[in-house]
Amino acid sequence: MSTSATSWAAEEVDLQSQITENPDGTKTIVSYKLNDQGQKIKVTQKIKLVKVTETVDPAVAARRKWSRFGNEKSNTTIGPDNSTTIYDTEVQLILGSSWKQDALKQAEEDSKASVKKQSTLKCRICQGEHFTSKCPYKDTLGEDAPGINKDSTESDASIISMGAGGASSYVPPHMRSRNGGIASPDERRERDDSTTLRVTNLNSVVDEEILASIFGKFGSIRRVTVVRNRETRESKGFGYVEFDTIKNAETAMEHLDGKGFMNLILKIDWSKPKK
Amino acid sequence: MMRPIMLKGHGRPLTQVKFNREGDILISVAKDSEASVWYSSNGERLGTLNGHSGAIWSLDISPETDLVVTGSADFTARLWKTMTGECIHKWDQDAPVKRVEFSPDGSKILIVTEQAMGQKGKIFVYDIDYTKNEQSTTPILEIVNEDSSAEKFSVAGWSYGGFYIIAGHASGKISKYDAKTGELLNSVQGHEQLITDVQFASDRSYFITSSKDQTANMYSVDTFDQLKHYSADVPLNTACITPVKEFVILGGGQDARNVTTTAASEGKFEARFYHKIFEEEIGRVKGHFGPLNYVAIHPKGLCFASGGEDGFVRLHHFHKSYFDFLYDVEKTALATQHSTIDA
Repeated sequence: MSTSATSWAAEEVDLQSQITENPDGTKTIVSYKLNDQGQKIKVTQKIKLVKVTETVDPAVAARRKWSRFGNEKSNTTIGPDNSTTIYDTEVQLILGSSWKQDALKQAEEDSKASVKKQSTLKCRICQGEHFTSKCPYKDTLGEDAPGINKDSTESDASIISMGAGGASSYVPPHMRSRNGGIASPDERRERDDSTTLRVTNLNSVVDEEILASIFGKFGSIRRVTVVRNRETRESKGFGYVEFDTIKNAETAMEHLDGKGFMNLILKIDWSKPKK
Repeated sequence: MMRPIMLKGHGRPLTQVKFNREGDILISVAKDSEASVWYSSNGERLGTLNGHSGAIWSLDISPETDLVVTGSADFTARLWKTMTGECIHKWDQDAPVKRVEFSPDGSKILIVTEQAMGQKGKIFVYDIDYTKNEQSTTPILEIVNEDSSAEKFSVAGWSYGGFYIIAGHASGKISKYDAKTGELLNSVQGHEQLITDVQFASDRSYFITSSKDQTANMYSVDTFDQLKHYSADVPLNTACITPVKEFVILGGGQDARNVTTTAASEGKFEARFYHKIFEEEIGRVKGHFGPLNYVAIHPKGLCFASGGEDGFVRLHHFHKSYFDFLYDVEKTALATQHSTIDA
């Protein structure tokens, strides 16, 4: 928190900060300060202190202190020098026996993404890739241009507002549908979860493949998901299995609910739609 | 995803890169005449070893990282102090030095000389005295290739305990010599073409050979049986065995003379990861725009370095996904081990 740029008054207000020790070892600091407009702002910071101990071989530590020699003798740069050491762009290493298909899929997605990026900018007058106001045909084609004041037949994300007279063109994110137009409320719940089972109390080593292998015996499976932590990709211990028919899902539930799997007792119920 | 560090220390194609025993130091040599010493953690260049007057074909680092030996096309092998980069000894030879390696205990070095200039291809073994700079110039062992030049030595290395010397020949033959007497103990026609590299597993009880015939093989030192066979679609220049994970990394690419006529995307200039046991290719790492001349793996398996014909060393630190990777059968084995649901 910087107090140097603020006035003495702000500093005084700043002193009222409260520090709370949370039971999980983190600290919450709530402080108040004044912003440029003189409004009081509440700042909440959550701090976690992590102590990292690194053990280093003494020989390695000694080598870290060696002074430079040879062509680097006169180099005084601290750390890696840009002239010899460059951090390159990221490369991907997809491990797996199907790495070729995975790499192809990735490349396809990348090209798709770039196509999408191109189409986001579209002139309403000439359909070119620039802003309408910067259109070179603005004066020649004008407002009678083919693209203007007509509802676009293609569902293109670029053309959000068709209304004349500059009505608000903003569509809030939850109103946008996948293909860019305005979503109708019933369209928002696109998935039918009637054949989906929710599997809880899973061992964290269980992944989609293992889950598919044990549920696959009861019928064909449309979709398997294990819910994971976004950062660590570690399983959160539950997942979803979608069957082709309700009947198959029922038999799977009958057979597997309450059974032990990898040291834990599986709990299986129907996937509940989100409220 | 990995963010490789590009090391630009050389103006010519790389010939060899090696980690020291702890893996904190990486040394690279190339067809220019200076070796570069790097810190592997951040890619900082510590210094260069200046003195050779020709391409450096090979290097090795002593177990304690106090000495470095290099072998060059200027007909010399040199010994350097790693800490200061000072050349403390020079072995003059009658032909270019193609390969050098310290024995596992660091007490000896082997030097492979090229069969050229009317000289026969030879492997010399010298004692190393750590207490003084000046070293003995009389070899304690000399293995001479008495056959035609097609059979000349291309690479050589020490087995576990320094008991045997494993040599690869230009014809694709692999031989095992007694490191005390120089007696030929075993020989096998492992490849059809030039053997480009031989690298050992961390316990030196088995090794992998790579060849221009687009294959790499794994052999046991004791029985000399072929344990594994990996096939690729390009001539291979190098192969290494990863510790920690059961992989091997192969490197190669089209021959240098064909490179200018090939697009980088088609040149197959990638480091190839194969599963050591299942012999199946499981992934590739792109980045070089010339063939890979050498790949080396960190002794703890944390990162790998590749030296390319393009003059770059690329140092890749592995991410968690690399260490987490399990083969399908390994996964199912793990699952059935804990499972109470019978199949």
